[in-house]
Amino acid sequence: MEIINRYVYSVSKRLPEAQRKDVADELRGLIEDMLEERVQDREVTEEDVEMVLLELGHPRILARKYRGEKRHVIGPELYDLYILVLKIALISTIAVNTAIFVIQVIVNPMNILDYFVSFIVSFFTVIIPMVFGWTTLGFALAEYFSEGRMEKLELEKGWKPSSLPAVPDEKRQIKRSEPITGIVIYVLLIIMLAFSNEYFGIWIFREGELSGVIPFLNENLYSSVMILAFILFGSGIVKEYLKLFYEKWTYKLVTFITIVNVVSIGLILFLITGFQIWNPNFMNELIQYGMITRGSEGYDVISQIWEQLTFWTVIFLVFGLLFDLIAGFVKVRKAK
Amino acid sequence: MSDAYKHIDKLMQELRRGTITIGALSQLHEPQYGYSLVTTLKEKGIQVEPGTLYPLLRRLEKQGLLESKWDTNETRPRKYYLLSEIGKEVLDLLLVEWQSIAKSMDYLIKERGGENGDH
Repeated sequence: MEIINRYVYSVSKRLPEAQRKDVADELRGLIEDMLEERVQDREVTEEDVEMVLLELGHPRILARKYRGEKRHVIGPELYDLYILVLKIALISTIAVNTAIFVIQVIVNPMNILDYFVSFIVSFFTVIIPMVFGWTTLGFALAEYFSEGRMEKLELEKGWKPSSLPAVPDEKRQIKRSEPITGIVIYVLLIIMLAFSNEYFGIWIFREGELSGVIPFLNENLYSSVMILAFILFGSGIVKEYLKLFYEKWTYKLVTFITIVNVVSIGLILFLITGFQIWNPNFMNELIQYGMITRGSEGYDVISQIWEQLTFWTVIFLVFGLLFDLIAGFVKVRKAK
Repeated sequence: MSDAYKHIDKLMQELRRGTITIGALSQLHEPQYGYSLVTTLKEKGIQVEPGTLYPLLRRLEKQGLLESKWDTNETRPRKYYLLSEIGKEVLDLLLVEWQSIAKSMDYLIKERGGENGDH
């Protein structure tokens, strides 16, 4: 009878391809068995069929019982991480967009209303859906391809009470908000530099409006500067993730952070000393814009600073590394 | 009273979930097809809907506790299920557990009944 076909189809179309035929055959047999029991020797009427199908229930519910196991996009094993990443991504994008809005307003204060409206509109139509969408999609894919392996991994690892982490000393503990803030700042810096590196310099205002920027960086070398920035901020993000992962200051964490620092600083030094990354026309442009005059005392001071910029950058970086290292060790030791 | 029935429905669902598995496994030393199993269980006082039992059989087969075979010799093709070797082992262990639970529950309930009698 056609209605039986429709019912069976309705159930099987909701099942994975591989099971469809088998379940359909079995279901057809079941319906016939149920009909047979119901009518005994008389003819099967449409009403009988309807009663039997009603007894079996809504195809969606029956199909759900057949599918059994999984009815979630992101499982409990990944959920915590999902929420964490989502939080970081949301805060970062909101921070970036707010920063861009602020810059737009500074550069062109007359259009503040336009900027504000487009900021709000893009917030709801692009930013939130994009961040939610991509983060969720990423995790859903991870969930799909891991197929319960996470759970197994957790079980197989074995567990004993002695492997429980010690309750962290308050002085050594890293508050979650700290690395999250760090990551957000690094993301902000990366995006700001990638999309508006032309604003990285001295801003010249004339009559309340921005009339030009004297860049700090050599414009011909933006690509290598970009690499530099990505290494620097990227390694910063790695560091913050390590903090998030270890949750407290340990020698291991400090060692990892040191390795990350040394590698990134090595690369930065190579880039800074190997290329002329600072704007070679900086001094001339300052004069052009009338900021200083050649031969004045100010000129001498600034040109001296400018010429020694590479040297000071190196000093700054090395001290930054040392400071990071010492601060880490101090925090580890404090608890003992 | 209707409130009590509402609770009963939910609780019975939870209670049945495990017992139906044991019930089904216990009847599959000989091959049976789904609907014959529904009937046998019903005759022996265990009510189970086909919509619950059929997916369960499939799941048990996927887990390796049951084996299945399509029989196409009869008037209509039927899928027969039978305990696998592992299934037999699991059933034996399961029955031991079940008996222990049943005994303890019996004891618990009787004890409580006795207390009530005192009042």
